[in-house]
Amino acid sequence: MLTSKQSDRALPTFISLLVIGVLLMTFDVRLEGGGVVGVLRSGTQAIVSPMQRIAAFAVTPIANALDSLSNVASLREQNAALSAQLAESQASLVAVQDDLAKLDLLEQIYDLETDGAELGQTVANVIGSVDAALIIDKGIANGVLVGQPVIDTNGYVIGTVKSASSGSATVLPITASRDGLTVLVGSQTGTLVTRPFSSDLGLEMDLDVFDAREPVLAGDRVLTSAASTDYPAGLPVGEVIEDASPESTSLTTSVRPFVDPEALRFVVVLAWPPDPVSAATDDTIPETTDTTIAEDATTTTTTPEDDG
Amino acid sequence: MRGRTALVIGLTVVIAVVIQTTLFGRLRVVTPDLVMLIGILLALTRVRTEAVLGVAFLSGLIMDLLGASLIGLRAVVYTTVAFIAIRTKERAELGRVTVALWAGLLTLLGVVLILLIGTLFGQAALLGEGAVSVMILVPLANVAVAALLAPTFVRLVDRDRTALRYP
Repeated sequence: MLTSKQSDRALPTFISLLVIGVLLMTFDVRLEGGGVVGVLRSGTQAIVSPMQRIAAFAVTPIANALDSLSNVASLREQNAALSAQLAESQASLVAVQDDLAKLDLLEQIYDLETDGAELGQTVANVIGSVDAALIIDKGIANGVLVGQPVIDTNGYVIGTVKSASSGSATVLPITASRDGLTVLVGSQTGTLVTRPFSSDLGLEMDLDVFDAREPVLAGDRVLTSAASTDYPAGLPVGEVIEDASPESTSLTTSVRPFVDPEALRFVVVLAWPPDPVSAATDDTIPETTDTTIAEDATTTTTTPEDDG
Repeated sequence: MRGRTALVIGLTVVIAVVIQTTLFGRLRVVTPDLVMLIGILLALTRVRTEAVLGVAFLSGLIMDLLGASLIGLRAVVYTTVAFIAIRTKERAELGRVTVALWAGLLTLLGVVLILLIGTLFGQAALLGEGAVSVMILVPLANVAVAALLAPTFVRLVDRDRTALRYP
C-alpha cells in the first residue's frame, strides 16, 4: 500500500491536507492556544521530550564546542567588556550593601517586618528550540505551569511558559510574543512590543508610552510594571537605547532586552502568581519551593521552617 | 516490505525532529531544516505520492506542536513543498549536485512560505529574527545535507542499492 507506482491522487490529497491545515490554523487562532490545541501540544511534548532529553545529553557538548569555535574571534573583546562590567558591578554591589545596611537599621528603628514571601523557583536546562520558542527539561511534574514567568539566572525577564507537559515545557520569549508587555521606565508606564524581522545585529523592541510626561534617555532601565498580569513587578527587562521626547502625549523609542534567548542554557521559572489560597489561610506562608539544580539534577525541597 | 518502509520513514522523521529541535535548535550558523528536507527527498523515492504528502503534513504538524507557532503553519508549508517536489522531481534526477540544488530551491520556497503565511497570521516575531539570514542559511545548509545524504536516504527507503547512482 505504501510503496507502489505514482498515482494521480496527489492533487486531491494535497488540497485536502491544505484545507485541514488552514482549519487547524483557524482553530488555533480562535482558541488562542488553549483547549484541544493545548492538549495536543502537551501530548506531543510528553511523547517527544524523553527523546529530546537523551539527544540533548549527547548534543550539548557538540553544540557548546561549535558555539565556542564561532565565538573565539570575539573572546578578547568580550573579556575586556566583561572586566569593565565586573568593576562596575562590584562598585554597585558596595553601594547596594550600604543601602541594605541602612535599610536594616531603619527596619530595626521602626520595628518593621518584611513579609518574607519568596517565589518558588525551578531551574531548568534549555534542551532545544523551535523557531524562537525554547524547550526546557522541566514540566508540570516539577511545578512548571502554563503562563508562569521565566527569567534567566541574573533575574532578567525571558518570557512566559507557553505550554507544558509532565516532563518538559515550551517558553515563549518576550521578543517573540505577540502580546505587549506592560513595563515601567522611570515613573512612566509603557508597553513593550516586538519588532518583527529585526536584524541579527541585536534584538530590539519598541517601547510605546502613551501618557508620556517626561523624556526617556538612552540607558534608562526598563522594568516589569505592577500593572502587568504576567510578571511580578520590578523585574529588569532591558534598557532604552535611544533618547526620546514626548510628542503630544506619547513617545516611542527602542529597547534592547537584557537577554538574548538564543544564547540561554539555563532558565528559572517563577511560581507566580503565588497560590492565593495558601497565602490567605496561613500567614507564615508555608510555601513549598521545588528547586532543581540544573546540572546534577538533584532536587531540594525547602519550607520556611527549614529556612528558620 | 511495506511495514519496513513505513518504519524507516517513521524513524527517520522522529530522528530528524529530535535533531532539529535539539542540536540545530542550539546552533546559530548551521541551521538546516531536516524535517522539511525529508518531505522533499521522499518525493525521489518510490513511496506513493499520497503517503509522501501525508508524511510531510504530519512531520510539519509535529514541529508546530513542539514549538509555539500556529498549529498547521508548518504542516501546510511542508505539504506544499512536498507537492511541488513530487511534480518537479524528474528535473532533479540528473546528478547528485542537481538533486542538492533542487532540494535547496525547494527549501528556499518553504522558508519564504513560512515567513509569508506566518506574517499573515501574525507570527512574524515568533519565527525568529533575521529573516534574510534565515532565507540564505537554511537553504544552503539543506543543499549540503541533501548532497551528502539524499542517495543514502533514497536507497534506504526504497531498499534499492542502485537508486540515485549517476555515471
